[in-house]
Amino acid sequence: MIEFRGLHKAFGTLVVLAGVDLTVREGETLVLLGPSGTGKSVLLKHAIGLLEPDAGDVIVDDVSIAEASHEQLLAVRRRVGYVFQNSALFDSMTVLENLWLALDDDRNLRTVESCREEATELLRKVNLDASALDKYPAELSGGMRKRVGVARAIASRPKYLLYDEPTTGLDPVNAENIDNLILELRRELGVTSIVVTHDLESAFQVGDRIALLFEGRIHACGAPDEILASRDPVVHKFVRRGHVDAVVA
Amino acid sequence: MSRTAALPVLSPVRGLLEHVGRASLLAVAIVRQLPYPRRYVNAMIQQAYAMGVRSLPLVLFMAVLGGAVTSQQTGAQFAGALPIWVVGSVVAKSVITELGPILTGLVLVGRIGASIAAELGTMRVTEQIDALYAMGRDPVPFLVVPRVIGGFLVFPALVVMADFAGMLSGWFFGLLSVEGLTTADFLYGARFYFEPFDVWYSVIKGTAFGVAITFLACYIGLEGRGGAEGVGRTTTAATVVSTVAIMMIDVLVVPLLKLF
Repeated sequence: MIEFRGLHKAFGTLVVLAGVDLTVREGETLVLLGPSGTGKSVLLKHAIGLLEPDAGDVIVDDVSIAEASHEQLLAVRRRVGYVFQNSALFDSMTVLENLWLALDDDRNLRTVESCREEATELLRKVNLDASALDKYPAELSGGMRKRVGVARAIASRPKYLLYDEPTTGLDPVNAENIDNLILELRRELGVTSIVVTHDLESAFQVGDRIALLFEGRIHACGAPDEILASRDPVVHKFVRRGHVDAVVA
Repeated sequence: MSRTAALPVLSPVRGLLEHVGRASLLAVAIVRQLPYPRRYVNAMIQQAYAMGVRSLPLVLFMAVLGGAVTSQQTGAQFAGALPIWVVGSVVAKSVITELGPILTGLVLVGRIGASIAAELGTMRVTEQIDALYAMGRDPVPFLVVPRVIGGFLVFPALVVMADFAGMLSGWFFGLLSVEGLTTADFLYGARFYFEPFDVWYSVIKGTAFGVAITFLACYIGLEGRGGAEGVGRTTTAATVVSTVAIMMIDVLVVPLLKLF
């Protein structure tokens, strides 16, 4: 379980998070919605200690991220797979080397052959074939880079998967493929996921629950149909603007 | 003056102290990784190759120019006033103790320091550094230690080669441009004031420059913020700070060595 408790974060005078309380239950996919620039990615980065909160804490499996030792933080990060907005693949490395880095630990004990086998299997899970292994990120399409980013995130067999804008910048077909991939991974691996997005269609397709981040706080949180039925003016305005009713129906 | 009015004046000092603190923490993190060569040795060999072999032509070219200018200027200014063999003394002493290390340092600030800062700065702004943290990997043994150790090993070797190239060039251009100078005169002058410690002095400077340039470039690169413009600022900052640093080291080496 991941719990955000009273999380505050400001950058200079800009207050981004103003007391976020949110619990992500075991096995669910929680979608974090909100307008651009409201701090969704900032919130996600706090979950594995990539950013330090000004106040509040994040608890991952009873470990306080704010008070965790270096070793505890490393252990938490190895249980979490993180899919970055722009994939964040290491551009000086091939796809194989990117996956190798995620598969191996600091001791570099794996052989090239065993890594190639495991990397091929990871690519199969994200519907890519082994021909991508020897390519550099710059040689891949946007959709392929996202998939390799997902493959890298699941390489350590994580308990949690955090997706930061997984469909941003993709065409509708590739965006739907990524949505299907999120659903498949949940079925196959049974992971608990947080999906940060402002793509409403994607949100209502993959989310068990949807939380709306607005003005630094969780403004609403509930099942997709509860969010759709909400009479709260902020929720109503945000959801109506995306015209998602037809998708869910 | 009120307390609030004093704050803007103090903020650059505070910023500088914060940088010193964070750079010190990075230095400690590097030292803590040194007993685990398996974590960085492969990357270190790649970095040493990239720094050493690929920089060698430019380093030698600059050293040749430095040696040529030194012999020509010495000949032009001292001809008739001092014995002709002084050209050999001035070339040997100035190339080995000063021009070799400092020209190599300045070349490598642009060739290596800027490249490291731009690469790590780009990795920072494209979240590749965050991706390393997210995988439970420490960027220090992966990115910083191979570059700093690579610089530590390669820079002194480059400086020695630059010294040699500068001496040869000084001799060759001296014969061409200084009337009456012979090889025997040049060698006599070069040996007359030569002390073996001069070479160690050159190597010590090269080592200090290597560590300073790579460490500062890594630190400034990892601190990078913003997009393409941020990477540009990072690269400029690394170049300026490293240039100032090697000049300061150059000034401080003599008094520091006298302490020992």
